[in-house]
Amino acid sequence: MRQQEIHQYIQRFFLENKCSVLDESDDHVTVQLTIDMDKRIMNRPFYWSYVESGGVEPNPAKLTLITNPSQFSTSLAGERIHFGSPRLHQLFQVTKEQGAFVQMYEKPGQNQATQVTLTPWLGVNYKITYASDRTKEMLYSLGMNLMNGAVIDGFQESVRKLELAPSVSANTYYLPYNIPPMRALTRLEDVMENVVNQDDHTWVDEAKQRQVRDLRVLDYFYTGVEEVPESYAMEKKAIEEQYETTIRIEIINGGLFYLKTALV
Amino acid sequence: MRIERSTEWKEGFTERLENRKEWDNWTLYQMCYDMERAKVIPEFHGLQSPKHLPNLTPYAHQLEAAETVIERMNGKAILADEVGLGKTIEAGLVLKEYLIRGLVKKALILAPASLTNQWIAELNQKFHIPAMSYNKKYNLDHCPIVVTSIDMAKRSPHKEMIIQQEYDLVIIDEAHKLKNPKTKNYEFVQQLKKKFCLLLTATPIQNDVFELFNLISLLKPGHLGNLETFQSVFSASKHHVEEDEFLKELIQQVMVRNIRHETGIEWTNRLVQIMPLDFTDQERVVYSMISKLPVADSFTSLTLQREMCSSQLAAVLTLEKLHQATIQPEVRFQIEEILLKLTELDIHSKAKKALELIQKANDKVIIFTEYRATQAYLQAVLHAKGITSVLFNGKFSKNKREWMKQLFQGNAQVLIATESGSEGINLQFCHHVINYDLPWNPMKLEQRIGRVHRLGQTEDVHIYNLAVQQSVEDKMVELLERKIGVFEKVVGELDHILTDGKRSIS
Repeated sequence: MRQQEIHQYIQRFFLENKCSVLDESDDHVTVQLTIDMDKRIMNRPFYWSYVESGGVEPNPAKLTLITNPSQFSTSLAGERIHFGSPRLHQLFQVTKEQGAFVQMYEKPGQNQATQVTLTPWLGVNYKITYASDRTKEMLYSLGMNLMNGAVIDGFQESVRKLELAPSVSANTYYLPYNIPPMRALTRLEDVMENVVNQDDHTWVDEAKQRQVRDLRVLDYFYTGVEEVPESYAMEKKAIEEQYETTIRIEIINGGLFYLKTALV
Repeated sequence: MRIERSTEWKEGFTERLENRKEWDNWTLYQMCYDMERAKVIPEFHGLQSPKHLPNLTPYAHQLEAAETVIERMNGKAILADEVGLGKTIEAGLVLKEYLIRGLVKKALILAPASLTNQWIAELNQKFHIPAMSYNKKYNLDHCPIVVTSIDMAKRSPHKEMIIQQEYDLVIIDEAHKLKNPKTKNYEFVQQLKKKFCLLLTATPIQNDVFELFNLISLLKPGHLGNLETFQSVFSASKHHVEEDEFLKELIQQVMVRNIRHETGIEWTNRLVQIMPLDFTDQERVVYSMISKLPVADSFTSLTLQREMCSSQLAAVLTLEKLHQATIQPEVRFQIEEILLKLTELDIHSKAKKALELIQKANDKVIIFTEYRATQAYLQAVLHAKGITSVLFNGKFSKNKREWMKQLFQGNAQVLIATESGSEGINLQFCHHVINYDLPWNPMKLEQRIGRVHRLGQTEDVHIYNLAVQQSVEDKMVELLERKIGVFEKVVGELDHILTDGKRSIS
C-alpha cells in the first residue's frame, strides 16, 4: 500500500465509522473518535468502565495520524502511520470485523424507464495459505450465479465497477434465487478445493525432504546412546512441527449481490 | 493433503440470511478486501518484512543474512557476524518475517540482563514487535514476545513457566556463554523446544572447536555428529587439513558470518599493535621473586605473575591473602620481603607506557584491565598527571553504566573498564583502545575492540596491546595467536585483534 492509499484508507475508515475529521492535510488526519471507536481501538477498558459506572462525562479521544513519512521527524505531533505500523494493523482488524457480510443491489441507472430485473449472485473472497517452514498465499474472488450455477473468477473486480446500494431501488425487482446460498457456498468450496488440488505441490515434498533429513541428523546424534534423554522427544517434536505442511482456506468476506449487469 | 477451513464465516452468513443480524457496510467490505490484497504474501521466497518496516533501512548484508537463515537454514542458525554489524537487526528481521507469515506466534528472547531493555526497545521501536520483559506475575499466555535473561529463566519457578509455553522461536543473544554443556544455562536451553532458533554470537569459538560443537548441538543435534565421532576426528592433534575444510563446510550450513570488510560498507581502519615493554631492573627482581615463590598450585603462581605484569596493587592484594593463608614461616618471610619490595617500586612500567600512549593520543581512550586493583591504581596514576578518568565495571547498575558513559563522552578523557564492563556498551565516539592486560581468550579482545570499532565509527581506531617482554605475557601472546589460528581454520577470517601484521613500533 502506498502512502496515498493508506491516507485514503484512513479517511474512509473514519468517515464510515462516523468519526468526524477535525483537521486534515495531505500529510495527516486528526479525528474525533466516537465512543464506540474509542472502545475498539484505544485499549482503555478501565477508563470506560469508570465512565460508565460513575456517570462521568465520556471524553472519547482525538487521534492525529501522520501518513507522510517525510513528516515523521518534524514537529507535527501524532502517530506515524505506514504499512506495518501497529495502528494501521489495528484499523485493518476492525475493518475485517465490520466488512465481512453484505447484501447489495445494483442501481437501475438514470433515465431507466422500464423496470429492471436483478439476478442474484453469491460472491465470496477467499484466501488460501500454504504453510510449512515457509508460506505462500493466494486470493480468489469467486461469484456464483444463483439462477444457473455459473461460476466466475475475479468477482470482486467486476462488482467494484458497478453502482450498488444496500437496498433495492424503485422500479427494480429481483429474482428469488434458484440455488440456496448455503448450497452455493458448498459448491464454491468444492471449486476452491479443486483449485488447490490442481496446483503444483512440490513445496510439500520439499518440506518433507527437509524434515526427513533433519530427523536423520537428530537420530544420528543419539546412535549408540543407551538411554535416550528426554530432550530427544522434544527435538523430534520440534522438527515435526517445523516442517509440518498445512493448507488453509479462509473466507475473507462475502455476500449476496443482485445484479442487472450480466457477468461472464 | 488435509485442508483446514474455518466455519466462522458460514455461521455469520447464516445469521444474516435469517435476518438475525444486520449486513455490513459496502465501503468497509471493499476496504477489507483491498487490505487483504495489500497484505497477501505471494511467494514462498523473499522477505516481506522490509515492506512493513519503511523506517528501518537495513544494510544489504543484514537482509541477506535474514533471507539465508530462513531459506537456506530453515530458521535454525547461528548469527556470527563480527561485533558491531547488527546481529540484533538480523534477528529482528527474521522474527518479523515469521510473525508476518504467521509461522511464529510466540517468541522467547534470552539476553544478558544488561541488554534486555535494549532488546525490548529495539524490537518495539524499530520492528513494531510488542516485546515485553518477563515478569512472573504476568500470564505468559498473553505475552507473545518475551525478553529475559538466561540467569533468570533457568531458575524455578520461571523455568517451568517458560518451558511450558512452547515458544515457536527462541533467540539467544551472546550465545557463546553456552559453550559448556555441563552448565545449568546449557541444560535449560536444551530443554526448550526450538522449532526455530537463532544463536547470536560474534565469537562462536573462544578457545577450541568443542565450544562450537556444543553450540551446534544445541541448535541442531547431530549436525556435527555425536560427541564421540566428533572427538575421534577433531580432537586428535594429527587431524588433517581436509577435515578442517569439511568441518568448515558443515559449519557454514548453520552459520551466517559477515565480516566487516566484506559488507560493502566503508569501514575506518583498525590499527592494531602489540606494544612490547620491559620491566625496570627493580621490577624484574620482584617478578622473579614472585615466580619462585613456592605456592601450592600453579594457578596461583600464574595469577601472581600476571598481576605483577599489571600493577603492584593487583599483586599486593593476592600476596596479602596468600600471606594470611600461609603457615610456613620461611614462605611468610618471603612474601613479606616481596611486599616490602613492591612498596619501593616506582610507577609501574606498563602504567608509564599507558600514560605515554594517552598523552600521545591526546584524545579519548579506553583502557581495559583484568583487575579491579589495577583499575584503581591507574586512576590514581592518571589523576596525578591531571588526566581525568571514569571507571566502569560489571557490578555497576544499568543506570550507573549509562551515567559513566555520559561522563566519559562529556567530561573525562579516559575510561578504565574491566572485562565484565565490555558488554553491550557502544562507544563510537572514542578511537583509542589500550588492552592493558591480555585475556586468555582472544574473543574477549574482539569484544573489547567492538565497543568502538562498529557501525557509526567515523575515524580510524587504534588498538594497543601491552605485553611485558620476558614474562608470562609473552606466552599469552603466543597462546592467543594459536587460538586465533584455530578460529580462522574452522570459522573463517577474523579481523585484526592482536596485531595487524605490520611491524609494531616499539
